[in-house]
Amino acid sequence: MASETSLEEKFFIEQFKPIELKDRDKQIKILLFVFASLATIFVFLIIVFLFSSGLSFFGEVPLTDFLFGTNWYPSAGFFGAAPIIIGTFLVTFGAIIIAVPLGLATAIFIAEIAPPKIRKILKLSVEILAGIPSIVYGFFGIMFLNRFLRDLFGLSHGNMWLSGSLILAVMSLPTIVSVCEDAIRAVPNLYRDASYAMGATKWQTIRKVVLPAAISGITAAIILGMGRALGETMAMMLVIGNCKIFPEPITNLFSCIAVITSTIGLGFGPTEKGSIEQRSLIALGIVLFIITLLINILSNIILTRIKKKFTGDVKKRRVKKLQKSIFFIELKQFYQRYKKLITRGLILFFIGWVLYTWIGLLYSLLICLGLIGAIYGIKRLSTVHQQRFWHTIILVSSIFSVFIVGLIISYIVINGLPAFLKPGFLTDYPRDAGREGGILPAIIGTLQLTLGSIAFALLFGIPAGIYLSEYAKENKITKIIRAGIDNLNGTPSIVFALFGVVFFVYPLTTAFGWGRSLLAGILTLGLMILPTIIRTTEEAVKAIPQPFREGSLALGSSKWQGISKIVIPAAIPGIVTGSVLSMGRSAGETAPVMFTACLASSRFISFSLIEPVMALTYHLYRLSGDVAGALENAAGTALALLLIVLILYGIAFVIRNRYEKKKQW
Amino acid sequence: MVLNTSRNKEKNEIEEKNNISQKINNSGDDIVIETVKLNLWYDDNHVLKDINLKFKKNKITAIIGPSGCGKSTLIRCFNRMNDVIEGCKIEGKVLFNGENLYDKNADVRLNRKKIGMIFQKPNPFPMSIIDNMTYGPKIHKVEDPKTLEKIAEKCLNRAVLWDEVNDRLEESAMSLSGGQQQRLCIARALSVEPEILLMDEPTASLDPIATQKIEELILELKHEWTVIIVTHNMQQAARISDYTAFMYLGELIEYGDTTQIFEKPQQKLTENYITGRFG
Repeated sequence: MASETSLEEKFFIEQFKPIELKDRDKQIKILLFVFASLATIFVFLIIVFLFSSGLSFFGEVPLTDFLFGTNWYPSAGFFGAAPIIIGTFLVTFGAIIIAVPLGLATAIFIAEIAPPKIRKILKLSVEILAGIPSIVYGFFGIMFLNRFLRDLFGLSHGNMWLSGSLILAVMSLPTIVSVCEDAIRAVPNLYRDASYAMGATKWQTIRKVVLPAAISGITAAIILGMGRALGETMAMMLVIGNCKIFPEPITNLFSCIAVITSTIGLGFGPTEKGSIEQRSLIALGIVLFIITLLINILSNIILTRIKKKFTGDVKKRRVKKLQKSIFFIELKQFYQRYKKLITRGLILFFIGWVLYTWIGLLYSLLICLGLIGAIYGIKRLSTVHQQRFWHTIILVSSIFSVFIVGLIISYIVINGLPAFLKPGFLTDYPRDAGREGGILPAIIGTLQLTLGSIAFALLFGIPAGIYLSEYAKENKITKIIRAGIDNLNGTPSIVFALFGVVFFVYPLTTAFGWGRSLLAGILTLGLMILPTIIRTTEEAVKAIPQPFREGSLALGSSKWQGISKIVIPAAIPGIVTGSVLSMGRSAGETAPVMFTACLASSRFISFSLIEPVMALTYHLYRLSGDVAGALENAAGTALALLLIVLILYGIAFVIRNRYEKKKQW
Repeated sequence: MVLNTSRNKEKNEIEEKNNISQKINNSGDDIVIETVKLNLWYDDNHVLKDINLKFKKNKITAIIGPSGCGKSTLIRCFNRMNDVIEGCKIEGKVLFNGENLYDKNADVRLNRKKIGMIFQKPNPFPMSIIDNMTYGPKIHKVEDPKTLEKIAEKCLNRAVLWDEVNDRLEESAMSLSGGQQQRLCIARALSVEPEILLMDEPTASLDPIATQKIEELILELKHEWTVIIVTHNMQQAARISDYTAFMYLGELIEYGDTTQIFEKPQQKLTENYITGRFG
């Protein structure tokens, strides 16, 4: 007996080497830190690359000529980007005006009014909307919406501002709905109780308590929706006509218009490496990058303020600053008293002016008077009738949102099925520039790009995510890393495309003479989904309860042993869900592969990393834009693409649900 | 035998309850709220069992009992706050000035205006103090700014908060201390001119000094309002209430004068709870 115990003891002592473990812990921490920093380094690389090309461009073309010039014709040496920049804002503005009321109403319905079953259906619809690839929106826009609007208004063509804004409104709708819904749900029930307890109706509670409390989240939703709309490329390339002119008059929704992303997307392909035309497009990219950067920063600030709002004194300081001068106090009191009147007056004036440019003074005045009458009419209603009125509007808006989803999906399915059911569509090579034959090479290419990019992103993203949640102390470096990752997340895909060309394609060509290649596409796409992977890993790992780690440490394990043996295995379902979602996004992206991996001429399957490939998205873009008379196959391709993406989202959904059920803590 | 005794016990209890209601009945007819055979279920969970209770005007009635005994649920019946909760089913009557709150034709919102409520955690809206005070009158269609200001001042005064906040009415209510926030909530409840104030453990999240202030305020409020207070704190019930009801597992065990309940409880359960043998 005695000898046995001593043997066992010895066995332990020989195996247990705490000092070595500690050293390994340090090494691992450093390794993870390097991975985490890489994401930030990529952001800086993008910034450095953008600005270095930009600087050389602005050395030749003065900044003022670029920003305020009205003539854009790069091959003739005219670089006036004002019509493009203004166009970008006009199209985005139009989209937001449509999407915000619709999205907010839908969010209110989902969060406050709908019974649980209907809530689920609505959320699913919105998620589907978020999953539809942008090129599919573009296809829907050019094939259905543009023609529909053309016939509706009796125009010669439908490539115009209105189509662009409508498409962008639908595309930014999911962002607005989900962020608004989160903001509304974050309002504690305590406030609702207090309001009901004083005899308020549901609508009064929503309007006067819930929405004001959620206002910062709603603002963030609008800003994020704008970011989404500003960065959209493929649909814009197809539907707005891309004329670098100012609408005449400036409110003319039927005018052909251009935005930054579409100008880059359409113009970049044929430009030569380092030419002034190319650098002028990169300069446009800088403008876009700066705008989206500002938007990201702004929405981050607002979203972090929400957390403080329910706990502390945000307003306090500001009031004290203003109290310095009596004039300010009076001004503020004046504003406070007439705040509603002033904002309403301004909005009414704007509506009146827009209407005036469309239909003349008389009708404009009449409509405005009607609006004023309607507002006062609603105010006169009893509270119960007011509630009924607003609930009806909210219900109708929500139904309309679902209708949009149904319309797009059914259009794609109905038009895509004939091609889809053709023998060999999925297993054949394309013929006659894609009008005939199948889409096999595109399917294979999309799979290659998707799998490659997710492998790349996981390789760098998982260590970075683990570092951020387990090892990072909340200091300046961590803050910078986080900010870098967040900004990478909000950067438009067309900017990644530019980066991919200059950073992957050109060097690889110079070094090995590869040209566009699968590898360059994988790297560009991988970089694009990297931030999402880092974030989901971080969240998944953070969600594992602390006692698990403590339990492991209490047995004498090293930190890394606990993480690798207990925490990561428990976090795997979360990470897998995030990865599958990212694969869906990667499969649906066009812009990043358009200049880096795809060639119009690549019609065959290739399994080499250094050859160009075809992707479903790019194939669809060519069939709906460049190749005439390919509607049937284009719709079939759109359906195939949609299926792949939605199946991936479906898988993620199933994993998440099963995991939630199985979870035992 | 066992069955028999338990049955006897039940009988005794029922008789006892009848005694209670008779006692309160005899003690006066200024009853503002009366529950008649009130039963409540959350899905299959029977939370309130045959509650018969009468609340007297301009008195403070405390409801005590261990957690989960249904005391909060009970007072939430009086302003129909349970309506908001899914799967909640109610049987029986709650008479408010003789009219059933659960009648088909009852105006829920009007009754909520007349029966104000203070919650466990101070819940001022995340707006300015003045906006908190004018919210109630505004939703009941008071629009004149002068009137609104008057109401705000009057109610803040009554809640003994005016002197502390009159120079910073535009500041966020969230910048007040916990005790101030709760007094603001009381002032806010007063702003819609209720007849009754329901208080659901109003001092549970406050420190002793803030608690003392709130208690003084409640004693002050008694002159004009009827107060029904749920409390976890037996000393508090003893200090401020005129009547006390003891509940256990969804049943009303004993109801009577506070002094009687605390000094000569008639039920064994009440005695055990009050002397701290469980709870």
